[in-house]
Amino acid sequence: MNPLLQEFLLEARDFLQGISEKLMALESAPDDAGLMNELFRLVHTLKGNSGLFDFPALTRVLHAAEDLMDAVRAGQVAYSTALADTLLEAMDFVAALLDEIEATGALTAEHATEAQAQAHALRALIPPTSPQEEGADGGTTQAQLASGPYALPAFPPLAELPEAVRMAAWQAAAPEVPLHGIVYVPAADSFFKGEDPFHQARHIPGLVWGRARHEGPWPALGELDCYRSELIFEAIARAPSAELIEYFRYVPDQVRIEPLPLIALVIPQGQLNGGPVYGDFVAEALAMLEAGDLAGLKSASEALLELSAAELWVSSALRWLKLLIETAPQQRQAMRRLIEALNTLTAPDWQAEDWQQVPDAPSEHEVATAEQVAPADEDRALLDAILAAQAEVLAQPDGVDWLPGRLKATAAVLRAVLSHLNDSPAALDLALEQSLAEKRSQPLAQWLAAYRERLLGQPLVAVKAASALSLPAPEPGPHTPADRPVPATAAAPRAEPVAEVRAMRPAEESAVSKVLKVDQAKIDRLMNLIGEMVVAKNGLPYLASRAEQQYGMRELAREIKAQYAVINRIAEEMQDAIMQVRMLPVSFIFQRFPRLVRDISRKLGKEVELVLEGEETEADKTIIEALAEPLIHIVRNSLDHGLEPPDVRRALGKPPVGRIILRAQQESDRVILEVCDDGKGIDAAIVKRKAYEKGLIDEARLERLSDEEAIQLIFQPGFSTAEQVSDLSGRGVGMDVVRSVVEKIGGTVSLTSRVGQGTTIRLALPLSMAVTNVMIIESHRQIFGVPMDSVIETVRLPRAAIRQIKQQKAAVLRGRIVPLASLNELLGIAAEPQANADDEFAVLVLRVSGVPVGLLVDQFREVIDVILKPLPGVLSKLTQYSGTALLGDGSVLMVINPQELFR
Amino acid sequence: MSLTFADNRVVLADYVTVEEAESLLEWLLAHPQASLDLSALKHLHAANLQVLMAAGNPVSAWPADPDLAAWLRASLPTQEK
Repeated sequence: MNPLLQEFLLEARDFLQGISEKLMALESAPDDAGLMNELFRLVHTLKGNSGLFDFPALTRVLHAAEDLMDAVRAGQVAYSTALADTLLEAMDFVAALLDEIEATGALTAEHATEAQAQAHALRALIPPTSPQEEGADGGTTQAQLASGPYALPAFPPLAELPEAVRMAAWQAAAPEVPLHGIVYVPAADSFFKGEDPFHQARHIPGLVWGRARHEGPWPALGELDCYRSELIFEAIARAPSAELIEYFRYVPDQVRIEPLPLIALVIPQGQLNGGPVYGDFVAEALAMLEAGDLAGLKSASEALLELSAAELWVSSALRWLKLLIETAPQQRQAMRRLIEALNTLTAPDWQAEDWQQVPDAPSEHEVATAEQVAPADEDRALLDAILAAQAEVLAQPDGVDWLPGRLKATAAVLRAVLSHLNDSPAALDLALEQSLAEKRSQPLAQWLAAYRERLLGQPLVAVKAASALSLPAPEPGPHTPADRPVPATAAAPRAEPVAEVRAMRPAEESAVSKVLKVDQAKIDRLMNLIGEMVVAKNGLPYLASRAEQQYGMRELAREIKAQYAVINRIAEEMQDAIMQVRMLPVSFIFQRFPRLVRDISRKLGKEVELVLEGEETEADKTIIEALAEPLIHIVRNSLDHGLEPPDVRRALGKPPVGRIILRAQQESDRVILEVCDDGKGIDAAIVKRKAYEKGLIDEARLERLSDEEAIQLIFQPGFSTAEQVSDLSGRGVGMDVVRSVVEKIGGTVSLTSRVGQGTTIRLALPLSMAVTNVMIIESHRQIFGVPMDSVIETVRLPRAAIRQIKQQKAAVLRGRIVPLASLNELLGIAAEPQANADDEFAVLVLRVSGVPVGLLVDQFREVIDVILKPLPGVLSKLTQYSGTALLGDGSVLMVINPQELFR
Repeated sequence: MSLTFADNRVVLADYVTVEEAESLLEWLLAHPQASLDLSALKHLHAANLQVLMAAGNPVSAWPADPDLAAWLRASLPTQEK
């Protein structure tokens, strides 16, 4: 799993924990603004973080929670236990999602429905305008919850669609894959979000037919805002609803997906002026159907079809009949009704009850929805119960203070019922207004009575169709099955589902986190302690030698040494373990590059492929963190100056897409980071000339410099400030900064480049900064440490080999001149370097800013690992020293910083 | 450029992007009688679709792409040429 995601999951759990704690705390102190702000911040941050990943379901719920908390914070909504419950439920759902992400690394599409329901439950608590009415018994919540997803326009009546379309849909349908009607209303600002709704609509899986339309007439062309979407897409697709929901998973609130009953497609259309001629045909056809003579029926209808004008209603019906015979010969009942319809010239009412109950010829649609018949009956009972309950409420005496609240609550419940049945709430709203104005329940009660009467007389089908909607149904909790019928939620006694969910709340069964989050300061303290222990341990060999030499106790000395070996091993392991704790994979910084490269390359109009290698390589946290900046710099340079635009690349015969490789690997105790590009490379000649013009090198050096050395000049501070850098084939911008940062953390930078083939910048860094490998040298009876990173070699030079060139000493080493400097001189110690018995001087050859320099010292000593501590306080201004270390015998070692020493 | 404006005819070809919706709209405003040649069109951004739908200019050539043609025939206002 992606480490960023891992981190998110870790954090998210903390946040969830924090959120529930704050909610609990608010329960006892609901007016605490501080707590409320804290709670909002938690939800807000969690939402923000979730947005980094592709988990729309997660983000949606959190977004709704954030909005709710915002409203609470602003005082629009009062804190209540109900609110806390809803939030907690939503957070449990989030936790469940996190579990799934942790287990599988992804979320399945089916959560979209639940997420939608959760989000609606949360949003339902936010009042649209004024603060929530007193006296509402929570009915508003439930009602809004139910009405939410149905704000989109319904799928158009099938009769509106051309016959050819319907026939195509009919033919496309297959029993195993249901047909769905889709209404997709893109958000008005979707164009700004970079979406192309038309593209989205065109690629609906299993698309059979589609069109775009506009609600009402278009505005005058001059007033049209072409970047504000006003389109409505309608489509018929032959695909399982899960697939469609998955397809629209980013915009679930903008689509409505309805199952299309197949048989409903069969709508004959056309001119109605037929003749009685058809009477005979009907009788004949019915007889043939009875006899099962489909072939005869088909040829008879074909014959009649030829005689009739194509645009006649009758022809249309015959065409459907023919299609039925051809594609669905088992649909006898449907054929009979179609034939009978020829008599009446009215389309068969496929929704009539007798049709639904015909047992011998179940239509494909019925097979698909058979399971929903039972819940539909249940729905009916529940709906009746709801309506009866509302009637009861309205029957209570008027003249109480909370009457408006009561009326609104009742109306809200009723509105939910209406929207569930796809009915228009206009009449209801009217009745409500009247009731509110007159301050009595009667108008509303009257409307309800009339409506109940009407509903009871109505066939079941409407209810059934509504409950079969695949759009998200509001659910009380995350654990209820998604296909549970809507009214069950709306109507069930309120306390029950809540209690049920409570029981499942994962508070008790919470997974024990295996990861510990620790403050870095604690790790640092541990690190320091181990450092001291290493120092203390290093004292043991001294002790051993004293025991032997001063007290002549050989045996004891040996035992101390044996003990030392044991302690040494443990201390090293401890050190190693702590080091591991501080290790971070380089992916931590690599992760931001794909985005960065994409953005910059877009801006520059270049095409770039970024390759990341060795992301799992680990290094100390401080190193990794310090590296981010220089790496960004280098990559940006590669993009800007290194890679050519696509057309230039094409002209050069290179692939138009440039390639940048970010590679990390471990080489013994160093981490190597490489940034390679296949761009134009750095032209040494130009660099040399520029450097000369800038006065960075003199004429003589200009002649002498090898190409390899010349390109290193771009690391010179003066070089980068030149304004013409971008003319230059190389990088240059701030490369000196890169080098100084890398050197500060004990690393080195090197650069190789071939004109026309690309550039590679290589950073070599220590794995950890905690332990520094230093060489101890002696000069004028003092000891100093020199980091081994910068030591090239140690040599002994006879006095004669040292030449004096003006004021500067130098020596020829391995065929090249190396400048020499005396450490005493550099440190202001008034003493000459001491030669040894053979009259040879000890020269420590160091690499300073990539160039070898010889340091004259008196004596070389051993190489040890030390814990380097920076110089404290005022001393920190002495940049010649990078720090101090405590030695085993208790003395202090000053560690030199060669870069600064030679400045 | 996927939009080519002729005297009284605009040719939409290949992929018409969202950025081009504005110029399409402006041109259609200036040429209300212009006809649309969509024969080489493969896809157009919804913003352009919206402009075409609102403008209602006659289509002189439908897209060769049958899928796109079906969408456009169903969506663009029907108008005899």
